[in-house]
Amino acid sequence: MSSTIIETPKSGPTKAPPLGPERPVAWPKRATRTLANGMQVVLVETHWVPKITAELFFRSGNAVTAARAPGLAEITASVVRTGTANRDSQTIEENLRHMGADLGTSAGADTSAISISGLAESADGLLAMLDDLARHASFPADEFERVRRQKLEELRVERTTPAFIAAERLRHVLFGAHPYAIVAPSEAQAESYRREQLQEYYAGHYVPSDALLVIVGDFNTPAMFELIEKTFGQWSAPSPVKPSNPAPPALHGRQVHLVHLPGSVQTDVLVGNRAITRLDPDWYRFGLANSIYGGAFNSRLVMNIREQKGYTYSPRSGISALREHGYFTVHAAVRNDVVAATLTEMFYEMDRMRSLPVGDDELADARNYMTGVFSLGVATQDGMIGQLSTVYLNRLPDDYLETYRERIRSLTSADVLAAARRHFDSANAQIVIVGDRGQIGEEAALFGEMKQYDAQGNEI
Amino acid sequence: MSPLRIPVETSTLSSGLRVVVSPDHSAPVATVGVYYQIGFRLEPRGRSGFAHLFEHMMFQGSENAGKMEHIKLINSSGGLLNGSTYHDITNYFEAVPSNAVERVLWLEADRMRALKVDDENLRNQRDVVKEEVRVNVLNQPYGGFPWLDLPPVAFRNWPNAHNFYGDFADLDAANLDDVRSFFHTYYAPNNAVLLILGDVEPGESFALAKRYFESIPAGPVPPHVDAVEPPQTEERRGEVPEKFGPLPAMAIGYRAPARGTPDWYAAGILDRMLHGGRAGRVYRRLVLERQIAVEVSGAINYSSGDLFDYNGPTLMITTIYHKPEYSSEQTIAAFEEIMEEIRDRGIDEDELRQIQVKFRSDFYSHLEGGMGAHMPRFGLMHYLACFTLFDNDPQLINSVLDRFLAVTPQQVREIAGKMLVPQQRSILIRRPIGKGGAQ
Repeated sequence: MSSTIIETPKSGPTKAPPLGPERPVAWPKRATRTLANGMQVVLVETHWVPKITAELFFRSGNAVTAARAPGLAEITASVVRTGTANRDSQTIEENLRHMGADLGTSAGADTSAISISGLAESADGLLAMLDDLARHASFPADEFERVRRQKLEELRVERTTPAFIAAERLRHVLFGAHPYAIVAPSEAQAESYRREQLQEYYAGHYVPSDALLVIVGDFNTPAMFELIEKTFGQWSAPSPVKPSNPAPPALHGRQVHLVHLPGSVQTDVLVGNRAITRLDPDWYRFGLANSIYGGAFNSRLVMNIREQKGYTYSPRSGISALREHGYFTVHAAVRNDVVAATLTEMFYEMDRMRSLPVGDDELADARNYMTGVFSLGVATQDGMIGQLSTVYLNRLPDDYLETYRERIRSLTSADVLAAARRHFDSANAQIVIVGDRGQIGEEAALFGEMKQYDAQGNEI
Repeated sequence: MSPLRIPVETSTLSSGLRVVVSPDHSAPVATVGVYYQIGFRLEPRGRSGFAHLFEHMMFQGSENAGKMEHIKLINSSGGLLNGSTYHDITNYFEAVPSNAVERVLWLEADRMRALKVDDENLRNQRDVVKEEVRVNVLNQPYGGFPWLDLPPVAFRNWPNAHNFYGDFADLDAANLDDVRSFFHTYYAPNNAVLLILGDVEPGESFALAKRYFESIPAGPVPPHVDAVEPPQTEERRGEVPEKFGPLPAMAIGYRAPARGTPDWYAAGILDRMLHGGRAGRVYRRLVLERQIAVEVSGAINYSSGDLFDYNGPTLMITTIYHKPEYSSEQTIAAFEEIMEEIRDRGIDEDELRQIQVKFRSDFYSHLEGGMGAHMPRFGLMHYLACFTLFDNDPQLINSVLDRFLAVTPQQVREIAGKMLVPQQRSILIRRPIGKGGAQ
């Protein structure tokens, strides 16, 4: 097919200029300290904007309560911000606005977090607010009832959202009896929460010995340490006892898990298998293999099913690392008539990664991509908090940030091949399909034994 | 009042391309953007969605960088890239380690000079865009709410009121002649601004801009499109069925004052009084106190951009997801009570001061990031581009904040009296058709 050149008034330089000499990435100096009560503190000064961002993490989340009350850590976090012994809900919100502050409280599978970001001139007040929420939350009965109803309505919306439904189903399949199987409670479970359960979770898990405080921004480090010591130094509480969890199931052979969403005009395809945590020595080479397969915009999968075939807008693969286990996913929302074609290409590209070594140019490009994007993450307070919390929550080596780029640069084509063979487990991959079964059921069934569910997770 | 001073240097090439440079050596990274003054509002009639489809075509190859080369060149330099279409601008931007700046400029110049596309690329991207519309709108609960739903209710003039993502029939009708004509009309250097931010030196940046862009010839001035809206004298209403989601939702939009006028600054503060998070009047009343709503949100130009990145008729929008046991009329009445109180009583000094502190703090954060953790200074780039293209004054970046911080209680009360009247608003209701939603 002949191309159309839309305009060539006068030709420009025909070749892309080479990259200039690489400039050193100086990781901002960080100061760390562990308080007598066990709270771990990490500080990094950045002065571009007169703001500070502080995030206080506790190392337990929804996983520790999954057996008795799924989602308990999450609703606890939501109610924490609605009242303390010293401030009611409206006072909290007005105090925040007065400090130019945003507040977030959240919980995932492994952590609970309180995050506050505001003007540097209000540093004392921001830390006092953090302390008040971490230690003196009062769980007002009316706020609890309000939030519980809100959660219920959120759940109802989430279970009409294809990407959410797909992710929820895949976690069930990959993790079985392990708490990571549960992404969100059922409506009945959310309705059965009692206020006392939240208070009990808060008392047991929001404790200094299990806490990590990361603060990034426009402050002076010695003065900030002094403020932290004054604010949190007197806090003491016993460490939580955490249950040990059952092993996830062994998964043999491809299986198809179709969630029927009547009336869908598109199909969500999500393929996955269990993989590793960040502490596994394979972490770096798995990351590089993922970037070549489907992690980057110019990856093989995106070029294939988006740029060549036009099946989908945003196909991507990714590695999710939780504390005890990790998993690998490949996702695309595609036209209803190309479900089988999409799966075929996803597996083809996976098997190609497992069969053939990656060429030198493609390898060099991917290494550059990984190291470059890593550097972009140090230039904002949000990026910095994200990188630091990853290192300290996962207890990665202290020099992780400084040595990351070197480690990526040293990887070879053989490393990528080995990682693909170990982690792109295409023969035993689990396939989740969310769409209208009348339109896609037949194509989906081509890829393995098929189970069918409704959006609430009931087998149908 | 504002301690943050952003260094901004500007230059204009002989082709009319404006170049804005803002150095910052805190990290060895740079952000580069090219903003064209074209968006949904100006796309041709009969070609709804074309401005956005064209944005996709800008990644399909240019004279010296073939299909897939654009993305590959940036990713393999260690950078990220994207583009987006707004009402009045379309942007292309890259965040890269600063040793890749020259390469980025070469690439942006190559596609500003000469796009190289074929029918197959167009067909391919039309398919991709349709899947984009399905994943974001047609197959999502509350898809397109309110950014696609509300304009056809609120506006009467096609440029402001049509389907911005595009009717599939219009997308199917688009051909290479349309691509050619759109490129000629809007993608000329004199209709654009180039921004270079981060670990760069102004002198060197201007020299590189000149080297790669100066020989691209200017185009004719794009035709004027009349986007003026006739005055509104009555409340307008519309309804769209919600196919997936269980909760009834509505969007209420009031006409916002014209950019840069004294009323606009006051409206910027009034907006934060209504919508500034959980302390905002609407959230506090409807979600926390009366518990009619489960979630409310809102802003000027909400869900299409923000206060600074439009240049034509727009709305201050509130979205409300409410409990099914309340009717639309009960919800609207509870909302109107809040508006009435603000019209009658205005704002007191303490609330205004809080809002202005938060406004300043938000502005800083937005300049620093504004597009996730890996796109440093996106917000700074975005505002510099808007201040250049719409206001011809990039230095506004250092003074615009003071105008919002100087707004008085009297001004807030006056603008509330003018804006927040039922005759000036439009209401779009999204009513669930499935079980679980009230009919």
